[in-house]
Amino acid sequence: MNQPDRQPAAANGAGEGTHDIVPPARPTPEAPYYEPQGREVEIFEAAYRRRLPVMLKGPTGCGKTRFLEHMAWRLDRPLVTVSCHEDLTSSDLVGRFLLEGSETVWQDGPLTRAVKAGAICYLDEIVEARTDSTVIIHPLTDHRRRLPLEKTGREVAAHPDFLLVISYNPGYQTVLKDLKPSTKQRFVALNFDFPAEETERRILVNEVPGLEADAAARLVAVARKARALKDHGLDEVTSTRALVYAASMIVAGLPPVEACQVALINPMTDDLELAAALLEIVRAHFE
Amino acid sequence: MGQDDQQQGPAEPAQVEAAEPGALPEALAALGRASFVAHREVQAVLPAVVAARGEAFALEWVGAARRLFDFDRDAGRAFVRGTPDAMAAGPEGRWIAQALRFVDVPGSWKSIDGFMGNLPSALATLGPIGAARWADIGLAWCGRHADSGAAYFAIPVRELAGRQGVAGIEQVCTPAEELFAHRRLSLGNFLPGALRVRTLLGAGAIGPWARRGIDLLTADRFRGEAYFRLESDESLRLLLDELPGFRPKDHERFLKMLLTAWYGQPCEIGESGWSPDRGRAFVETDGRSLLMPVALPDREHAVLGTLHVAGHLAFGTYAVAPLRRLFAQFGLEGAVAEALAISWEPLIAFHGEDAERFRLLFDLCEDLRIDHAIGCIAPTHLSRLLRLAALSGPAEGPARAWCDYAMATLRLAQGRTHGLDDAQARLLARLLEPDATVADAHAVACALLPLCALPAVYTAEDAQAAYLPGRSPNLGHEVKAAEGPGSRSERSEEQGDSQSSEGEGDPDEEGESVEQETGAQEAEADESAAAAHAQSASARKGAGEMRSGERSPQAPGKGQGPDRGIPYPEWDYRENRYKADWAWVAEKVLAESNPLEAQRLADRHAGTLKRLKKAIQAQKPTRPAPLTRQMDGDDLDLEATVRYVTERAAGRSPEPRVYKRRAIRNRDVAVTLLADLSTSIMQTVADGSGRLVDTVRAGVLLFAESMEEVGDPYSIAGFCSKYRDNVNYYRIKDFDQPFNESVRSTVGGLSGRLATRMGAAIRHAVHRFEGVQTPRRLLLLLSDGRPEDYDDGGDRRYLHEDTRMAVKEAVNAGVHPFCITVDTLANQYLPQIFGRGHYLVLDQIGSLPAKLPEIYLRLRR
Repeated sequence: MNQPDRQPAAANGAGEGTHDIVPPARPTPEAPYYEPQGREVEIFEAAYRRRLPVMLKGPTGCGKTRFLEHMAWRLDRPLVTVSCHEDLTSSDLVGRFLLEGSETVWQDGPLTRAVKAGAICYLDEIVEARTDSTVIIHPLTDHRRRLPLEKTGREVAAHPDFLLVISYNPGYQTVLKDLKPSTKQRFVALNFDFPAEETERRILVNEVPGLEADAAARLVAVARKARALKDHGLDEVTSTRALVYAASMIVAGLPPVEACQVALINPMTDDLELAAALLEIVRAHFE
Repeated sequence: MGQDDQQQGPAEPAQVEAAEPGALPEALAALGRASFVAHREVQAVLPAVVAARGEAFALEWVGAARRLFDFDRDAGRAFVRGTPDAMAAGPEGRWIAQALRFVDVPGSWKSIDGFMGNLPSALATLGPIGAARWADIGLAWCGRHADSGAAYFAIPVRELAGRQGVAGIEQVCTPAEELFAHRRLSLGNFLPGALRVRTLLGAGAIGPWARRGIDLLTADRFRGEAYFRLESDESLRLLLDELPGFRPKDHERFLKMLLTAWYGQPCEIGESGWSPDRGRAFVETDGRSLLMPVALPDREHAVLGTLHVAGHLAFGTYAVAPLRRLFAQFGLEGAVAEALAISWEPLIAFHGEDAERFRLLFDLCEDLRIDHAIGCIAPTHLSRLLRLAALSGPAEGPARAWCDYAMATLRLAQGRTHGLDDAQARLLARLLEPDATVADAHAVACALLPLCALPAVYTAEDAQAAYLPGRSPNLGHEVKAAEGPGSRSERSEEQGDSQSSEGEGDPDEEGESVEQETGAQEAEADESAAAAHAQSASARKGAGEMRSGERSPQAPGKGQGPDRGIPYPEWDYRENRYKADWAWVAEKVLAESNPLEAQRLADRHAGTLKRLKKAIQAQKPTRPAPLTRQMDGDDLDLEATVRYVTERAAGRSPEPRVYKRRAIRNRDVAVTLLADLSTSIMQTVADGSGRLVDTVRAGVLLFAESMEEVGDPYSIAGFCSKYRDNVNYYRIKDFDQPFNESVRSTVGGLSGRLATRMGAAIRHAVHRFEGVQTPRRLLLLLSDGRPEDYDDGGDRRYLHEDTRMAVKEAVNAGVHPFCITVDTLANQYLPQIFGRGHYLVLDQIGSLPAKLPEIYLRLRR
C-alpha cells in the first residue's frame, strides 16, 4: 500500500526506470551554443587544467548553466548537475542506505558518482542548500580531493578528471542565505552578468530561429529598461532566458506585447504596480 | 424672439390702462409727507416707470414702495433703485407682490437688496415661474433665519442654479435645510462652499460632503464652520480626494519605477498644489522634482506627462550651461545661475506684441526637442502622444491651430508626412539633432515666429488648451536652473576640470550660430532687453524672499513635517473607502519619568515577578527534539528501522517510517506592547485597587521584566490622540534599546491624556515593526476602552470600523494584533474589531500585571 511513497526516496539514488545520473560525455554531436561575454572560456580551461574548483556567480538566467554545458563539451567530460534546494541534505549529495529486502544497501549520491566517474559536478544555486550539505564539499575542493562517506566510514579519492563547479547568485532572496567564507574561498570565481546589448541580440537570433533582427533589438531594449527596476521589488530581473522565451512566443505568432506579458512580466511579479510599470516599458517598444 | 413679442402684446395694453386721474400725485404727496427720503427716491425713478408701464402700474408701484419704506428704509431704497433693472428684464409684474412679501417676514429687509439685484437675471435665466420659485425658496429662508436669507439672495442666480434651473437651486438648498434644522448651520456658511463643491465635483458630491461636515460641526462648531466655508485644510483635501481621474499620488511608486526605467533613477515626485478651478491639470516641475496635480484625466496622460516633464529635466531644458548661453545673447549672463529661479520673461518680452505667441511657440519647439529625445529611448513615445491627442479630440478656438501644428511637428519627428512647408521643416529639423539644446529651441522659435501662421491666444484657458495632452507649460511653476543635462548622475564628471572646460568651449560656437539667425532683431532688442532684465532681477529678488519665508502653500503639511509626523490613511465605512493621508501620527518622547514609582511597583510585585520568571524558565525553548519515525529524513531512525525489518521478517507489511530528522520549529517572535494612554486610564478603579494608571504601569513593568527573561525582542509604546492630525505615539522602549533605569522610570511616570484613535496607532506600530527580522510578530494592545476621538462626531462606528481595517492591514503585513482590555463592556465591540480569539477582557483589573506576561507566553507558544 505504501509502495508509491517509497519510490521517490529510492529514485534519489538510482531506482529502476531512471536514467543514469552520469551522462556520457558529449551527449550532442555539436557543442551547445554559447556566446562568450569575455574571457570566461579561457579562464575556465585554465582552472580545469589545474583542477581548481570553479564558482559561477551571476543572476538567474544569464547563461551560467549553458556556459558549463558548453565547457563540459569542449573538455569532453560528462556533466552531472544537481539543482540545490533548501531541503537538500548531505545524504542527497553523497548517498544513503536504502532498504532492499531485509538488508540495507548503500547507494551513491550524484556527487559521489561524479567523483568516481571523473565528471564535472555542477551544484546549481548552492546557497539554497543547507549549510551542512555545503560543508561536505570542503575536502573535495582543496589539495585532498577526497570525498568522505561519513556513514560508511569510507573515503573516495576523486578521479583525476573530476571537477567541482558551483553556481552562486549574490544577493539572491535574503541576506540570510549566503555561503560561508570558508566555502567561498575554495573556488576560482567567474562573474557573469547579462550579456552586452549586441551579444544578447545575437543570442536571441541564434536561439530562436525565425526571429527578426528588429524584434530582437526591441526585446533587448525592453530588458535593459526592465533591469533598471531591480531594486523596486523585482527579485530577479528580466533574464536572457526569459527573453528567449518571449522571442519564442513572438515567433510562435503571438503579438509582441502579449508575448512579453506572458514571458517577461507575469512570471516575474505578482506586484500589480510593478507589472504595470513593466508593461509600460514593453508598450514603449512595441505598438 | 417671436414668443417674446406675443407675450408682450396682450400684456402691454392691459397695464397701460389709465388709473383713476389724480390718484398718482395724491399717493406721491402722501409719501412725501411720510418720508422725505422715500419721496426723493421714488420721484427719481417714477417717470421711467410711468413711461414704461403706465400710471396704473406706477400707482401700484408707489404703494409698494411706500409699504417697504415703512417696513425699513433700506429695504424701500433697494426696491426703488432696483426697479429700472427689474422692468428692463421683462413685462412680468409679479415681482412687486413678491417684494411686498418681505414685509411680512421680520428681519428680511437685508434680503431685498439682493432680491432686487438678482431679479433681472432670475427672470432671464429661470423665467417668470422659476423666478417665483427662486423667490419662494429665499423667502422661506428669510423666515427661518434672516442672515441666511440675505446670503441666499446675495448669490448670483446663475451660480445658484448651476445651469440646471430651479432644480439646481433646490439641489443645494435642500441639504442646507436639514443642516439648519439640526445643527443651525446658516446658509451663509454653507452655500458658497456647496456651490464650489458642485462646480468641482458635480451635484452628487454635495451630500457626502455635507454629511461629513455635520460630524465636524457636532464635535467642534468652529472647525465645522470652517469646513463648510472650505477654509479648512481637511475640507479641501476631501474635495480633492473626490476628484475623478488618475491620481498620481496613489501611483507614485509606479511613476517612480517608470522614471527609473527610462532615466536610470527616479526623481522626487511632489504635489503641485493644483486645484480644478485653476483650469487644466498639468504635470509640472520645479527644476528638480516633478510636481503632480491631485488628478490627471487618465493613466495615459499621467504616463506621457511624467515621461515628458522628466524628459525636460533629463535633457536639459533647465540646465545652466545652455540657458546661460541663451541669456548671454541678450546681455543677461548673470540671469542664470544654479538653483536660481529662471525667468524667461526677458526673452519673451523681447517679442513685444507677439510675446504670447512666442511663449507658446518656444514651448512647442522645446517640447518637440524633448519628445524627440524621449522617442530615442522609448520608441513609441511620439506615436502615443499623437494617439492621445487624437483621442482627446480637437481643442476649441485658437488652441486648435496650435495643437494641429504641434501634431504636425511630431509627425515630422517621426519622419512621416507632416504638411509643414519646407522652410519650417528645415528649421524644426535642427531640434531633432542629438546635440540640440534649449538655446536651439529658442533660436528656432524666433525664426519660426514670422513664418508660421498660428493665431494669437488671449485667454489663459486657450493658452492652456494649446498644449497637447501630456505636455505642459515649461515654466508653469517656478523653476530653478539645474547643473546640467543628463541629470545628477553626471554631476561628478561635470565637476571634473577637463569636462567643464570642454563645456565652456562649446557655448561660444553655439552662441554665434544662434546670433546669425536672430541677428537683425538684436540691435533693436537691446533697450527693451535691458529693461526686462532689470524687471526680472527685481522679480527674482522678490521671489527669493518669498521662498525663504513660506514654503507651505504648495506642499501643505510638508513644511511642518517633523512636527506633524507621518500620515496614515483612515477607513471611512460610510464611503467604503480610505481617506488618504488622514490621520497624522507624530512620534514623541514622554517627558515624565518617575524612578521612585517604578521602584515601588517593582517591590510591590516582586513575588509575582519571581513566579513569572520561574514559569518562563520552565517554558524556555530548548533545542528542538528530532522527529522520529518519518517517511523521509536525514538519517535512519535506528529503532524504527529495526522494528520495520523485524516486522517485515515476520511477514507483515509495516509502514516504512524509518527516518528521523531535526525539526525546524522556529519560535522567533517579536512583540510590541502598545498601551492606550488616553485620559480614561487616570480614573479610579471601582474595585478599590487605586487608579487604573497604577495597574497599567505595573503591567508594563512586569511585562518588560518578563520579556528580559524570555529573551524575545520587544518594544513598548503608548499612544493618545486629539483630532485626526494629532495622534501621538510615544516610544517607550525600542526593539534594540536595552531595558534600563531610564525606561523603568518612564514606565513609572506613565499617565493618561486625550483620546484613543486606535487605528492610526496600530498602523504606526506595524510600521515600526519594519526591519524586525522575526518570522512571527505580535502586537499586544493594552486598552481600557473603545476607540474614540474628539472629532468622530459621536459616531462610534467610524473609529471602530477604522480600527477593524487597521487590524486587517496589520495581519496582512504579518503582524498579529491581540487586544487586552480592562473595559468590561468590551465584549460589545472587540469581537467585531479584533475577531474572536484575538482579544481578552480582564474583568479583574488588579490581575493585569501578572496576566500580561502570562498572556504573551501563551500567545507565543
